[in-house]
Amino acid sequence: MTQPETGAKPALPFNLMRFLSRYGTILSLVLLIIIFSAGRPEVFPSVRNMLNILNQVSILGIIAVGLTVCMVVGLFDLSIGAMATFGGYFAARFLAEIDSDSVLVVLAVMIAVIVLAMLIGMLNGFLIARLGISPIVETLAMSFIVTGLILGISGSRTVNPSEITMTFQWIGQGRIFGIPNAVLILTATAFVLWLFLEHTQSGRNMYALGGNKEAARLSGISFTRYALMGMAIAAACAALGGMVAGANLGSGRPQGVGETYLLNAFVAVFIGASTLKPGKFHILGTAIGVLLIGVINNGLSTLGVPTFWQYIVQGTILILALISASANSVRRV
Amino acid sequence: MSGTAPTDSRPGTAMADAAPVLTVRGMRKEFPGTLALDDVALSVRKGEIHALLGENGAGKSTLIKCICGAYAPTAGEVLVEGRPVSFATPRGAVEAGIAVVHQHYNLVPTLSVAENLWLGERLPRRLGLVDWPAVHARARQVLDRVGLDIATDADVATLRPDQLAMISIAKAVSGDARIIILDEPTNALLPHEVDRLFDQMRGLARRGHSFLYVSHRLAEVFEIADRVTVLRDGRNAGEFDRAGLDRRAVVDAIVGKSATLVARKTRSHAQAQVMMQVQGLSGQLARDVTFDLHAGEIVGVAGLPGSGAEDTLNLLFGRFRRQAGTVRIGGTLVDLRDPAAAIAAGIALVPADRLAESMFHAESIRANISMPSLAKYLRDSVIRLINRSAEVAGTLQVAEQMHVRMAGIESPVSDLSGGNQQKVVLGRWLSTGARIFLLNAPTAAVDVGAKAEIYNLIQSLAESGAGIVFASTELEEYPVVCDRVFVFSQGRVVGELAGDRLTEGNIMTLAAGGDLPDDAT
Repeated sequence: MTQPETGAKPALPFNLMRFLSRYGTILSLVLLIIIFSAGRPEVFPSVRNMLNILNQVSILGIIAVGLTVCMVVGLFDLSIGAMATFGGYFAARFLAEIDSDSVLVVLAVMIAVIVLAMLIGMLNGFLIARLGISPIVETLAMSFIVTGLILGISGSRTVNPSEITMTFQWIGQGRIFGIPNAVLILTATAFVLWLFLEHTQSGRNMYALGGNKEAARLSGISFTRYALMGMAIAAACAALGGMVAGANLGSGRPQGVGETYLLNAFVAVFIGASTLKPGKFHILGTAIGVLLIGVINNGLSTLGVPTFWQYIVQGTILILALISASANSVRRV
Repeated sequence: MSGTAPTDSRPGTAMADAAPVLTVRGMRKEFPGTLALDDVALSVRKGEIHALLGENGAGKSTLIKCICGAYAPTAGEVLVEGRPVSFATPRGAVEAGIAVVHQHYNLVPTLSVAENLWLGERLPRRLGLVDWPAVHARARQVLDRVGLDIATDADVATLRPDQLAMISIAKAVSGDARIIILDEPTNALLPHEVDRLFDQMRGLARRGHSFLYVSHRLAEVFEIADRVTVLRDGRNAGEFDRAGLDRRAVVDAIVGKSATLVARKTRSHAQAQVMMQVQGLSGQLARDVTFDLHAGEIVGVAGLPGSGAEDTLNLLFGRFRRQAGTVRIGGTLVDLRDPAAAIAAGIALVPADRLAESMFHAESIRANISMPSLAKYLRDSVIRLINRSAEVAGTLQVAEQMHVRMAGIESPVSDLSGGNQQKVVLGRWLSTGARIFLLNAPTAAVDVGAKAEIYNLIQSLAESGAGIVFASTELEEYPVVCDRVFVFSQGRVVGELAGDRLTEGNIMTLAAGGDLPDDAT
């Protein structure tokens, strides 16, 4: 039967929960910066240290912004850790085999690796959208397959720094106008994906699918198409992040590279979804989440606090962020 | 179906003069801005199968919720075997002997029959572990009591719909329920399954259980009910004994005399030009549907739930696979394989369930309007960057044309009232170049004022030359909105009504499987 309409929503002049759910993470970022600056005024609040923080989180950031795109579509990608290892190892291996220091060759190899990663991502998207497999299970399975492929092809042998061209290493270690290259790559990736999600038809269609899949389908939007696209972008960013990590380390390790970023990338994306636009995944939010993780880790270590505190603080902030985000979405319903 | 004259050897009639086991007096329920129930009375006798009838919005569901403690009534009382009862919670109603079996039977499909029967109760134990033999033995007893011959360890997911309904009833009986309320239990049932369910209900009634049976399938009600109470607009509109049960009188009570006085559509904008030709369309429940839609015409497809009327709209929009039939638009054959193809062919759909099928809750009004027509606002064709100011201007124009009352185009769509949300949903198709509008219950869950506005918007769409196919769960809307109505029953078109013959009563009669007196179709 027809439900009676509820009356107009009461207009609240100021709602603390609402304020916190939007600006809570930014507020805690500012608070942490103030606390750390007060604790170590000679070390923490310097330009040098700020660039240092950005450099430390740049690889995580590149992976997390890619993950944001697939989560906007309502999907999930647990294979980004394996894909990061994939990117780092194969870029190093191909360059070692070709043994050319030309900038064009390095770029071509990097693009080739990204294309390979996108193909794997599209396979993920196809299996999920067309065969209806759960994204969590499918990408977990894919991460095993990718890890196995890398170990098999590499024979578990690391590509050593001596085998890797200087041009490639410069990408992960060099600076332009004093800014680390890794930070520039993160900035460019984040900007492109922000533009893509917020200002192109494809991005808007992705938000529509993530918001209400059936309504999106009835608006003529193909889920398969954007599942392929979203998973491809997540895989490509993971591979790019892995390449930057490999270039930074100056080696191509066949294991243990991507796993360190996997969980932190999810933490950053979830913190981002409770920032500014509660309940929505978005690039700016993810960037703030990444920054928060960087500030916590860097600040606590400059204060000389034992490492275990970094985990506890990070976990607590994530829980608080999720509580404030869910408090808001519960009221919506 | 009207030919199956019921015999008088009804099981319930033997006890028809027994004292009422459930009595409702002066029941009143107010919601903000609506009076859902106004001084409603009802009495169900021991061993009786009592039908509760009424249109959507007549107050049936509200009354049941007030009886079983899900709603607190504004005024009025409920008596069980003469004693006043009042429950703050549904649990209290269960303890007083009232059980409600909902449309979907409240069963957990992944559990076994025995586990479902024990759901919510403490399982028998031995040495701290569940005593499975005892669980199954007790479950067996419960099933035997209602004469249900199925294994207690069967998975619920593997059973037939009538068996599911009976398990729910068995569960109610095992909890010593004297009054079992069935809320449209036959919606998912095939005719022979309905027969089996009714046989078992009669057996239970003979042993003193009473049923309050809510349905809008008239034919079934005539077959099973000992007595009938009709609600209309939240008031009692008639009570019928088995002896005085007459189809015409019941339909009149459901529909109301006032229905003939409702502002009927007077001016048609239908043009001579045929816009869409549907030929032999089949799929889902719809069978062999054929009709023409003219430019500027509003054609209704009406029927009870499961009649195929609703499926026809969804088939025309490519939501389901078409099994047979062709659709021509402007003489050209179109393949409506998915919604995108339908949109490209100039078709728009307003689906029935606004919350689940049409709203993007987290988005702004602007984004909700522009979603299917973003291609109109692109700056380029490669990156497909959106020209935000053009989008704002375009969606603002739509919002004004649809009279959406809003704080601003960037406000969250979830801040709007139901009626304004529906205007947004309707408005999003103004920019896609749609010429054919499929409207499924466009006025569902909107208030009276917004309803009138939506009617006007539909008329002005027709005036602009669009063709409209309209469906509603409220039959009284058809004479107000439509030029012609096709009535569906069991998947097929059973009649076409237009002009003076287009009345709510005639639609109801045809939809329930009856014939019109001077029927010429």
